[in-house]
Amino acid sequence: MYSYIARRLAFGALTVVGVSLMVFVIMRILPGDPLAAIFGPEGLTKLTEEQRANYMRELGLSDPLWVQYVRWVGDIINGNFGRSFFRSESVAEMILRRGPLTAEIALISVVLSWLVGIPVAIISALRPNTIADSAARFLSILFLAVPGFWIGMLIVLALLFWFGYRAPMAGVGFFTDPIGNLQLVIGPAVVLGLGQAAYIARMGRSSLLEVIREDYVRTARAKGLNSRLVIALHALPNALLPVITLSGVLLGLVLAGSIPVERAFGTPGLGNSMFQAVSERDIFVMQNLVFLYAVVFVVLNILVDIAIAFIDPRIRLR
Amino acid sequence: MTAITPNQVAVARPGRLRSIGRGLQTFARRSPLSAFWGVIAALIVAMAVAAPAITPYPPLKSDFRAMQKPPSEAHWFGTDQIGRDTLSRVIHGSRTSLMVALGAVLFGTTLGALWGLACGYFGGRFDMISQRLIEFLQSFPDLILAMAIAMALGGGLGTVIVAIAITRIPFGGRVIRSVVLSLKEMQYVEAARGIGASHARLMFRHILPQCVAPYLILATTHLGVAIVIEASLGFLGVGIPPPTPTWGNMLADALNSGLVPPWWLVFFPGAAITLTVLAFNLLGDGIRDLLDPKLRGSV
Repeated sequence: MYSYIARRLAFGALTVVGVSLMVFVIMRILPGDPLAAIFGPEGLTKLTEEQRANYMRELGLSDPLWVQYVRWVGDIINGNFGRSFFRSESVAEMILRRGPLTAEIALISVVLSWLVGIPVAIISALRPNTIADSAARFLSILFLAVPGFWIGMLIVLALLFWFGYRAPMAGVGFFTDPIGNLQLVIGPAVVLGLGQAAYIARMGRSSLLEVIREDYVRTARAKGLNSRLVIALHALPNALLPVITLSGVLLGLVLAGSIPVERAFGTPGLGNSMFQAVSERDIFVMQNLVFLYAVVFVVLNILVDIAIAFIDPRIRLR
Repeated sequence: MTAITPNQVAVARPGRLRSIGRGLQTFARRSPLSAFWGVIAALIVAMAVAAPAITPYPPLKSDFRAMQKPPSEAHWFGTDQIGRDTLSRVIHGSRTSLMVALGAVLFGTTLGALWGLACGYFGGRFDMISQRLIEFLQSFPDLILAMAIAMALGGGLGTVIVAIAITRIPFGGRVIRSVVLSLKEMQYVEAARGIGASHARLMFRHILPQCVAPYLILATTHLGVAIVIEASLGFLGVGIPPPTPTWGNMLADALNSGLVPPWWLVFFPGAAITLTVLAFNLLGDGIRDLLDPKLRGSV
């Protein structure tokens, strides 16, 4: 078990290094001229040679690339995420202020996706090819296709139109103002949760259908166990293993999906600052946020893997 | 050699064409629902191709006497803030969407598949390094990677295609690699190796044809994913810039139009995305059931 965890952590560390290199290549080397990314192609032509050289020096862009990379990594290790050109707040402060809101959205959406997805999967798998199953399958395939941010816009419009209601704009913490906070979070969380629930219902159904046909489930039935208990105690635990892995992968969907969804709802979370960084062409903020999202995704998936190893001895002992 | 018209092909290979027709018939009989969605998908593609001929108005033409008007007889889907016809813009948006999706899948999924083929076939150190690289790529949520690349390269049709294509590479790599790993041990491949076939011959003549089915399944699913990513990029302002109408930037326009966006500017572009992705996903499901009964029902 410990060797498994150690191995997983070592690979994780390697991945984080690789990811940092990749972010650096994408944000600093790919644009060719970073100033073009900051000022836009039109803005760039308006700068004089001298201004250009000045900006390059000020931003530390005229140093060799490896020096820039080392400095960036050093900054991040020291918790210095830089600051935006456009706001007084440093990026680290912004992450601390806005991050919890996005984390809350992610957490609620994952819980919701299980609460909706698993029962739907069970109903579908226990009575395959009935009306209920077909309806569940169609709904889940529909929710795979609907873009979350569009549903978000429709919800905002509908609430405004029928109830004259609009979620508050100011970001408030859960502990200072729970009701105001929930009003902010619930919309994006429901949209993202249903999106994930669709995947979970599909995967859960096929996984449960497979497990139900196994010998040990038939044995449990044959010895006269109540069929509900057979499902709940024998079939479900095994069927849920791939669903847990899927849920880890789906976190990527939540992290990325929260950017347009928060934009649609106007939620002042981290996703919205990502949108701001993109629309202001703020490549330094963007670079750090992209790295942060990727590292969070990697760490969460390591946690999921370790959790599965705890639950499933077959993986642990391999 | 002059260009070959479809007619000549039909004359040259009547058997081939008939077998495709028979395949389609089998498909329609076995899964009528998927065939229905296949027809919808084909109609959407046809709409995109014929867009300039079937739109009631030019998509960029403003009519200042009809600004932000709700759906009416003259403008079925209403008009936007500067009096452009929403229906025409939605129809034209399908062109960009499908072009990006097709381009991204053609480059990304295919490149990934070929990479996976090489990884699975050669194995060893090349495979190990490739797997790490693929893992790095997969550490980014799709949309975030696409956003970063599109932002770094600057908006435009080509860059959006490249950005989305790169997010598709790891999936093609993973899936095809695992298929190749099991194929490599098959007896017919061993036999071919035994009579001295070259690496290239083994890979492309004996192994590649068996990868076509999983590739097709992957590609149709990726079409849907690519359309959603393209729309999200447009919505976030890093996609294809206005005034070119795309479903994503139309939604962004609607959101930026004021505190309360008119419902028709929100509803129709999003409905177009949903319908298109739904059609491709269900068609993909049908293709999977047809080509690989073992995978039936899995994600």
